[in-house]
Amino acid sequence: MLQVAIKKRLESDKSGSFALDITFRAEEGITILFGQSGSGKTTTLRAIAGIVTPDSGRITVGEEIYFDSETGANLSIQKRRVGYVFQDYALFPHMTAEQNVAYGIKDNSAAVASRMDRARALLTLFKIGHVRQRYPQNMSGGEQQRTALARALASDPALVLLDEPLSAVDAETRTQLLDEVVAAQERVGIPFIYVTHNTVEAVRLGSHVVVLHEGTVKQVGGPAEVFNTFANER
Amino acid sequence: MIWEPLKLSLLVVTVATAIIATLGLALGLLLAKGRFPGQELLASFFTLPLVLPPTVSGYYLIVLLGRHGIIGEPVYNLTGWTVAFTWQAAVIAAIVLALPLMVLSARAAIESVNPQFEIASYTLGKSWLATFFLITLPLARRGILAGIVLSFTRALGEFGATFMLAGNIPGKTQTMPLAIYEAVISGEDKRAQILALILTGVSIAAVYFTTKLTKGTIRY
Repeated sequence: MLQVAIKKRLESDKSGSFALDITFRAEEGITILFGQSGSGKTTTLRAIAGIVTPDSGRITVGEEIYFDSETGANLSIQKRRVGYVFQDYALFPHMTAEQNVAYGIKDNSAAVASRMDRARALLTLFKIGHVRQRYPQNMSGGEQQRTALARALASDPALVLLDEPLSAVDAETRTQLLDEVVAAQERVGIPFIYVTHNTVEAVRLGSHVVVLHEGTVKQVGGPAEVFNTFANER
Repeated sequence: MIWEPLKLSLLVVTVATAIIATLGLALGLLLAKGRFPGQELLASFFTLPLVLPPTVSGYYLIVLLGRHGIIGEPVYNLTGWTVAFTWQAAVIAAIVLALPLMVLSARAAIESVNPQFEIASYTLGKSWLATFFLITLPLARRGILAGIVLSFTRALGEFGATFMLAGNIPGKTQTMPLAIYEAVISGEDKRAQILALILTGVSIAAVYFTTKLTKGTIRY
């Protein structure tokens, strides 16, 4: 279980300064962080991963404390067991699909050959075994997205963060990939935090929706109740 | 007689390029990733020899390393040895004059790598050092190689500062550019011609190689 309670002042060029004050918890299953751009979704993900440091607050995953401003605890990015799927995937362009996935396997004692075997097995699981020798620039958006998810899971994370992972694929691929995100989460049984501003994705995936607005949590609940009030307010 | 300056130039340039590549990459990395006070001042300092007349750089090298120089004098008093008028002096002159090209290229190449790739590597548990060697360096390799080739050619053509610190001693400090100068003023046209042609050939090859490297089709 992930628990987040953080505050951070952000200096932004466009909108002046901006205060983030986020508190939420995520159980196993998929939690949607929903909000318009500028609501603080991505910054929240980056704080959980350790890419940005909050001014104050606490982030815990299970028993493990990732960040606690009171005790000064602040685990490095490398030590947080977080799988991150970036918006543009951030697949390494000089590595093939299987090399990208094998890069994420943390077991350093494993021989190169066995890491490659595990990488291939993961790619096959995501139905893209046939592109294992391809470089990202020669893969479709859907194939890149699957590779990015496989790479994030290869590092044996305690938590997976997905930052609008389907914004760059077409509608048909999106529907397929949504099913695969659900299947992947059920297979590994760890919390997935999924950032989106798309209601269709949120309704399809979320057991639990956290609505962010201008840096604060506006509403928490199941997709049905959240989006009903959301629609009423408009 | 043509082989002596060629052999000496190759020795000087090989040693200088090896040091420039290592030092320039380290400085480029420091300037690209570091955030410290005086950073741009340091960057300017390492760029200075690019804009100063080489004889001025050479003059400062004498002030610093000459037999009566700020560093040179205590070294001479201690060891009885001075770097002035040795082949090592030609190496030092080549390093100082060509290093800016490597530092600028390496810095630009490292800064051009999307930091998202480095962050992705950290989230996959890789250390800062592992990320540099496995992600940043391969993605920046074109610019870095171009910097090595450029500083190699600059070192090969170094004349002014070399003349001042190392002198023009045949077989000892007379590199190719100095040998051309000597051949011309002593009226040995044939010798000047051959030496000039060799240097032109090497320079054309280097420019061609650099263009191929930087105009590659794969963009990251």
